[in-house]
Amino acid sequence: MSEQYAVSVEDVSKSFGGFKALNGVTLRVRQGEIYGLLGPNGAGKTTLIRLICGLLEAHAGNVTVLGQRMPNVGVLRHIGYMTQQAALYPALSVEENVRFFAAINGAEAGVKEALELVQLFDRRRSVVATLSGGMRQRCSLACALVHRPELLLLDEPTVGIDPQLRVQFWEYFRNMAAAGTTMVVSSHVMDEADRCQRLGLIQYGRLLAEGTPAEIRVQGGSQNLEEAFLALAGRKES
Amino acid sequence: MSGHRIAAITRRLLQGFRRDRRTLALLFVAPIVILGLLGYLMRGSSSAPQVGIANQDPGALGTVVASALRHSSHIKTTDINASDGDAKLKDGSLVAYIVLPADFTQQAQAGNVVPEVHLEGSQPGEDTPVIQALQQAMISLASGVAGRSVSFQPHITYLYGGSNYDTLDYFGAAFVGLVVFFLVFVITIVSFLNERSQGTLERLMASPLRRGEIVVGYMLGFTVLALVQAAEVLIFALAILRIHNEGSVLLIFGMEALMAIAAVNLGIFLSMFARSEFQAVQFIPLVVVPQVLLSGIIFPVSSEPTLLQWVSNVLPLTYAVNGMRDIMVKGADLTWASLELDAGVVLGFCVLLIVAGTATLRRRLG
Repeated sequence: MSEQYAVSVEDVSKSFGGFKALNGVTLRVRQGEIYGLLGPNGAGKTTLIRLICGLLEAHAGNVTVLGQRMPNVGVLRHIGYMTQQAALYPALSVEENVRFFAAINGAEAGVKEALELVQLFDRRRSVVATLSGGMRQRCSLACALVHRPELLLLDEPTVGIDPQLRVQFWEYFRNMAAAGTTMVVSSHVMDEADRCQRLGLIQYGRLLAEGTPAEIRVQGGSQNLEEAFLALAGRKES
Repeated sequence: MSGHRIAAITRRLLQGFRRDRRTLALLFVAPIVILGLLGYLMRGSSSAPQVGIANQDPGALGTVVASALRHSSHIKTTDINASDGDAKLKDGSLVAYIVLPADFTQQAQAGNVVPEVHLEGSQPGEDTPVIQALQQAMISLASGVAGRSVSFQPHITYLYGGSNYDTLDYFGAAFVGLVVFFLVFVITIVSFLNERSQGTLERLMASPLRRGEIVVGYMLGFTVLALVQAAEVLIFALAILRIHNEGSVLLIFGMEALMAIAAVNLGIFLSMFARSEFQAVQFIPLVVVPQVLLSGIIFPVSSEPTLLQWVSNVLPLTYAVNGMRDIMVKGADLTWASLELDAGVVLGFCVLLIVAGTATLRRRLG
């Protein structure tokens, strides 16, 4: 396995009962890049992310993360995972939540920095149940990155948040990538695709295309990424 | 009020239940199970308690009464020596023994008999069939002393408990443990499900935490809470309600703690089989009610129909309740084999559930 890939997914399939959630997907995420996993709802993005962090096991194919075949408990301390819903303890304060996730990763030292990064340091004593959706989302992000993971998996991190916060989130992501963190960000919003260095387009559990936004535009034959995606999707289906 | 809108709500409710098979099953199966169990317990051919008979009367009437006792449907009898009686009560092979004294025939002829009834006494209701059997046997006495009425004044002694015990003293010992077991179970199963439904469990699974660490961490957290609760319940029971206690308070607390740990682990384990808090709450009647009925809290296990005795003997609560009674009513300490067995079974149950809980957690995300 080549060392420069943080994540390498090789011909992976996964079904739930009779439903094929992923069907022979192969993709590679380079170290230190922001990789966008794009596709409509139900395309298999969450399943793929769960396979990458070892919550699920593939029926066929290999998932390799940071040089280790998944699932592997040892690699988990180098992975940060932000689930689709802001999975937090509502009865705890912001700081208590972040400190908890720091503690289970053995990284209590990073609490203050994580809170500052998502600009919740002033609200650290607020109980999560009383926070707005956007603040919860930021707190959830802080919990995912508090142990400074090498690989950050973000499952639709910008769903349901206002445009201002979305811009802010992408700024955080860019800063973290610049500091060497590899990021896999799933989204069904095409206008976020341009902020990624490379993209993987998924539909019906299959990888339609992979490449930089510019390459995707060429492959799909359109300057508009959304149109390019639809063109690629239509081509695969016929 | 619009009938149309009200009908919409009613329809919506019923539609939801149609898809929730588990709730439907609970709604229609659980009452039958619980009532059926109760019916079987109370009407089923219950086991007659073992009673010893020591007939010391050389005269004819002692033999008449002893024989009547032997044929009684209320009790099962064995002939014993009066001097062995207490030992047999202690080891649990008898719930009572009756001594017909050497001058029994003379007493009858004088018109007043005083048989000795020795009761084990740790469980309420155990003495009823014994007294009933004795009363019926006394009727046979009338034919032996023609024409005279014989009054009957049994001399009753209790190995444990006794006339200064009231109902609360008997039930209190069991309920001190049961209250803790029940409440801790409910709190644990609901909070563990919260962890699932709010998505944090998925996060924990994607962290370096091991499954066993999650289960043991949970267990410790809830055990701390449960111990505070157990202490409060115990102090209230002993100091305010003044429930009779023969044993060591520390031992009672230890037994309560074991029950609390068992309840925590039962909650974690069963939460794996529920998808929502709503479903978890449904475990309460299914898990708790049969255990309360069969653990000997209300109906002594020894008087249950044989089939139910087998069930009772595999329920952990049976041992826990028995242990609590041993300590509080009988003054048992850890040198008693029966208490060692009770504590050992509850402890083994805890370990089994920790392992089962950990294993189930793993499978869920396989």
